[in-house]
Amino acid sequence: MALAGTRSIGQAALALAIALFLSVFLVMPVATVIYVAFTEKGGGALTLVNFQDFARTDLFVRSFWNSIYVSAMTVVWASALALPLAYLTTRFEFRGAMLVQTLGFLPLVMPPFVGAVAMQLLFGRNGSVNLLLDEWFDFKIGFMEGLNGVIFLQAIHYFPFILVNLSAALRNIDRSMEEAAQNLGSHGLRLFRRIALPLALPGYIAGASLVFVKVFDDVATPLLLNVKEMLAPQAYLRITSIGIDDPMGYVISVVLIGVAVATMWASALVLKGKDYATTQRGGGGLARRKLKPRESFLAYAVVILILALVLAPHVGLLLLSFATVWSFSPLPDGYTLAHYARVLGDSSIYIKNTLLYSSLAAGIDVAIGGAIAYLVLRTKLPGRQWLDWAASTALAVPGVVLGIGYLRAFYGVKMPDGTPLAALWIVIVLAIAIRRLPYALRAAYAALQQISVSLEEAAENLGATKARTVRRIVIPLMTGGLLAGFVTSFATAAVELSAVLMLVQSNSDAPLAYGLYVLMQTPAGRGAGAALGVIAVVIVAICMGLAQLAADRSQRARGLDI
Amino acid sequence: MVRLSALATGFTLGLIFAAGAAFAQTGKVTVVTSFSKDVTDPLKKAFEKAVPGATLEVQNRNTNAGVKFLEETRGNNQVDLFWASAPDAFEVLKGKKLLSPYKPKATGIAEKVGSYPVNDKDGFYSGFAASGYGIMWNERYVKANKLPTPKEWQDLAAAPYFDHVSISAPSRSGTTHLTIETILQGEGWDKGWRTIKEISGNLRQVTDRSFGVPEAVNSGQVGYGIVIDFFAFSSQGAGFPVKFVYPTVTTLVPANVGIVANAPNKAGAEAFIEFLLSPTGQEALLEPTIRRLPVRPETYAKAPADYPNPFKDKNLQGLLTFNAELSESRSAAVDTLYDQLITFQLEPLKAATRALHEVDAALAKKDNPRARALAKEARDLIASMPITAAQAASPEIRAAFSGGKEKSARQAELEQQWAAFAKEKYAAAKAKADEALKLAR
Amino acid sequence: MSKAVGIEIAGVNLSYGATHVLKDVDLAVRPGEFFAFLGPSGCGKTTLLRLIAGFAQAQTGQVLLDGRDVAPLPPWKRDVGMVFQSYALWPHMTVAKNVAFGLEERRLPRAEIDRRVAQALDLVGLADLAGRRPAQLSGGQQQRVAVARTIAIEPKVLLLDEPLSNLDAKMRVGVRRELRALQQRLGLTTIFVTHDQEEANTICDRIAVMDAGTIRQVGTPMELYEKPANLFVASFLGSANILGDGHGISVPAGKRLVFRPQHASLSPVDGAALRGPVTHREFLGAAVRYSVRVGDNEILVEAPFQSGGELRAVGDRVGVALPPERMLYLPA
Repeated sequence: MALAGTRSIGQAALALAIALFLSVFLVMPVATVIYVAFTEKGGGALTLVNFQDFARTDLFVRSFWNSIYVSAMTVVWASALALPLAYLTTRFEFRGAMLVQTLGFLPLVMPPFVGAVAMQLLFGRNGSVNLLLDEWFDFKIGFMEGLNGVIFLQAIHYFPFILVNLSAALRNIDRSMEEAAQNLGSHGLRLFRRIALPLALPGYIAGASLVFVKVFDDVATPLLLNVKEMLAPQAYLRITSIGIDDPMGYVISVVLIGVAVATMWASALVLKGKDYATTQRGGGGLARRKLKPRESFLAYAVVILILALVLAPHVGLLLLSFATVWSFSPLPDGYTLAHYARVLGDSSIYIKNTLLYSSLAAGIDVAIGGAIAYLVLRTKLPGRQWLDWAASTALAVPGVVLGIGYLRAFYGVKMPDGTPLAALWIVIVLAIAIRRLPYALRAAYAALQQISVSLEEAAENLGATKARTVRRIVIPLMTGGLLAGFVTSFATAAVELSAVLMLVQSNSDAPLAYGLYVLMQTPAGRGAGAALGVIAVVIVAICMGLAQLAADRSQRARGLDI
Repeated sequence: MVRLSALATGFTLGLIFAAGAAFAQTGKVTVVTSFSKDVTDPLKKAFEKAVPGATLEVQNRNTNAGVKFLEETRGNNQVDLFWASAPDAFEVLKGKKLLSPYKPKATGIAEKVGSYPVNDKDGFYSGFAASGYGIMWNERYVKANKLPTPKEWQDLAAAPYFDHVSISAPSRSGTTHLTIETILQGEGWDKGWRTIKEISGNLRQVTDRSFGVPEAVNSGQVGYGIVIDFFAFSSQGAGFPVKFVYPTVTTLVPANVGIVANAPNKAGAEAFIEFLLSPTGQEALLEPTIRRLPVRPETYAKAPADYPNPFKDKNLQGLLTFNAELSESRSAAVDTLYDQLITFQLEPLKAATRALHEVDAALAKKDNPRARALAKEARDLIASMPITAAQAASPEIRAAFSGGKEKSARQAELEQQWAAFAKEKYAAAKAKADEALKLAR
Repeated sequence: MSKAVGIEIAGVNLSYGATHVLKDVDLAVRPGEFFAFLGPSGCGKTTLLRLIAGFAQAQTGQVLLDGRDVAPLPPWKRDVGMVFQSYALWPHMTVAKNVAFGLEERRLPRAEIDRRVAQALDLVGLADLAGRRPAQLSGGQQQRVAVARTIAIEPKVLLLDEPLSNLDAKMRVGVRRELRALQQRLGLTTIFVTHDQEEANTICDRIAVMDAGTIRQVGTPMELYEKPANLFVASFLGSANILGDGHGISVPAGKRLVFRPQHASLSPVDGAALRGPVTHREFLGAAVRYSVRVGDNEILVEAPFQSGGELRAVGDRVGVALPPERMLYLPA
């Protein structure tokens, strides 16, 4: 119809601009790298034989199933950690709910390398816990052994994705839903399982699928535990091994991207027709239930236990940053401030760069993520779903592949003064933005899904164009969700490493993660690295707190429930 | 290439000062390096002092990422120097025509350190320091587990060390690769692999980063690590309760520097190489945080007592002449063999090894010739190799890794064949060892 | 206030995928008319309303507003005011801001906006709640804000999507009178979507009865009641007895006999065409409703109640008398 055509010119232009951005900064650089997967080694002729080799190689098949197993189990354990925290803090009068929510987010902000060292010192074969267990009870627990070790660390690291999404979804359930169920005789866990959980399912699935994909594609954690028989580490090891031009690394990258897209697609399928957007929350409908004293005690015990577990890496990191020597003992031999003295001097440039890069990247992510969510959920543009899929594949593109792709695509492009485009720090920002785009995108999705379409239709009906409706209705109502996306992107961007390492051209442009990497190459740098890691976590935590505060203020000012 | 070590220090000093004057306008010299800040910072300071007007811009990248980086940015290269340990990385760069040849003017540099030639025979890169491989251990760990103190490589194959040793994969660490290659060249292909597999049967983990090994030993997660000496010494310097020993037969591996092809500041790059080889540069290597072995013999005079001296100490002299060409011809095959036979088959290999340790223990109590024969068969099964030394260096196998036309099978096919071979042999060895154990008890 | 406009809908077909939601809909709403779309849920009435507002697109057919095809116009250019079933008040704006929205979008001068916001809120009696947020209002107040917001822009037509469904029964009666009065005062062409025949009957000039995507009949409430064109309309509006042939009164093939309970009366069994036992008796106040089993049909008869009048008991055999002019024969 002519009507549809005239109306969607603006939308089409927006979609094209985003498509262009994604092609230039994601698809094209990645394609220049992974096309190798489809070529014959040496010859360069197009072939699928590499994929046959993949299917015929025991190691890869084993790695594939290991990855599936680890990802699925991580989702299970991460859910076990996230469910109580989310439910207790959103549906009950729970003092300190805000604090729990904020602390619960921190595991995502784990600086690379140092975090793993801290965990080894606490939970490793000869970590504090096992040394004490061995001394008192004469046995050890293999927290960090093999695939189960990976699951343990990943569940702790990624459970905030489920916590954040599930909490947001639970908060939006009208209290009457639960009251109706109570009225009909349901209570306790059954009430949760039959009413709250299904209603919060969209949020849960969004978080769980993110965890699944991130774990499936994560390189760092398995490698730090010396688990190599998983798919992502196999890809990484092959791509970064020198002197061997092996297409298999890129074949695995293609498989990783395929699994990520399939997961996102499957989760979208599951969620189809489960859009429980509430038009408007009735007056006072969101009051929280009270806990009885005994229940209250139990609830706090559970919450504190979970927080202690998931924040253990940070406690370890803090100890490590003050430790003189910590080796084969439950606690460090002594404490010192020397590490902080060492890093404070020459790390301010890293901190400044990190703040700049992360906030720019997160800003880009929120803008693009919000736009994609709007195009997909609110327009009928043909092919709009592709934007979502393309952006989501960024989850699965190994950082090193993206880094190499950027060098390949942009290093040849010279600035007027002859320096390569890829040498500019803005390229680091773009790489980080692309890597973190899926987080902001999912948050924007959730936020938009919560807004009833009739609120927008009412605005159009009163004469507001699509663009004006977005500005005056959609964006204000999405603010909270978009801010959540910003915080997630920002916080995780601050500790991004793999793509950054490939792109940093000079110390003065380097972010914190690079500083950490440099420090962690020497035994003497361990404490200093931990100190820098603590500084990173503190800075990110402060920024998150400020953002949260701003969000609450604006939400309250807008008369919205928080 | 022959350099007279007799040539006086003063002469070189003069040369360096001359160079300093000549390159007064050297400006920014960019290096990509795998060396840590502890190493680069003092040398950067010393260099900028020795060559006024020069600044050293250091880009820290691990060796693999550094090579990839140079490869990807060759169209618009901005890097002057590549500075790292692993000679094989330089060989790769050379093969890809990413290095430009330079013959250092400095004199008085040894031609060989240990058994390893200091400089590239084609002049594409120069050694400026050496490091020795050895065994590092955590004293608290060893004491708590009542473990012995090792002296030789072969010690690590003994039963008490089972599940306590760590190494980095040769495919990931150029220096480990050299160690493996040295054993192979020293003992021959079959016997060498037997030794390597016997030690590897006791491994706790195979790390993918060189630094992962000292890190694990320092924090007490494993007892012993096969490491390059400066890791151990700098760990001691940082206060960790670790010890280190050079085995009688050790490998000395050089650390190298080379000028990148199309370097934007070639003059600056040359100045830096000359500085590294100058007496000042060489003496800087003695600093505790750096602690590399200078390639200039007279520098050792200024070294502290008990500093290892490869030009004097017997165990650092090397028993064989390292054949770099042979090493280069089969490096991909050796790395891949290690990965497929050991890294990715560690569990079956360890299972068989553990069973054999138990057999040995049982036999020590009560001998049983039949069991002894079975155990030997099991050991032979473990030691057996899918390809011979000649095959490893053959054009067919090399082409499988390089993508050449002569290949008889694709790399992925070879890997699968080798992995399947190892899996089968280890399972058979385990079965025999179990049988032997029944007899021996 | 501008002159009231008419709405014409011609040959509209609309499908969502395989679901045919509107089938060959033709309809004319006269200028200034209070018109209702009445039908059970799922009959397509809301879709038809959204088509007029521009939120749905038909595959074929036209929607004419004041004789002009509105197909090329996006929703924001149609000047068709709609009150949503959920009211769709923006939670981040005050009442006044909500009402001012459409005027701001029309770039009216601030003073004009303020004047019209005050006027609209006055009209719905909420002038003193201008500074509140939607969440602080009762359901009835929210509904009135939604109306005020819509009429503030002085739309050409007013569309009301089940505007009373979220209110309690007592309030509905009051609000619907207010709506009617408001419509009369503004002379606005108004379409009211409802599934409640009483609502439609009490305030609308004319009603289109819809079923399964088609318009079954259009007419005034009385016409529809008195002269239903088909069985659906007959039974959807009020109660109706529907009989086939073979119960004592001959019914032509392909037709059914239809009559209202209050038009029938009880008579002696003898000579009655329809007869049978009384199965239920209900006292309704002004009338007594009897169920009489005739063959396999339950026929309802409502007899006016007079105190002291004779009542029939359950089980009595009775006849049912029908004045011929009240007998309708409708297609089966």
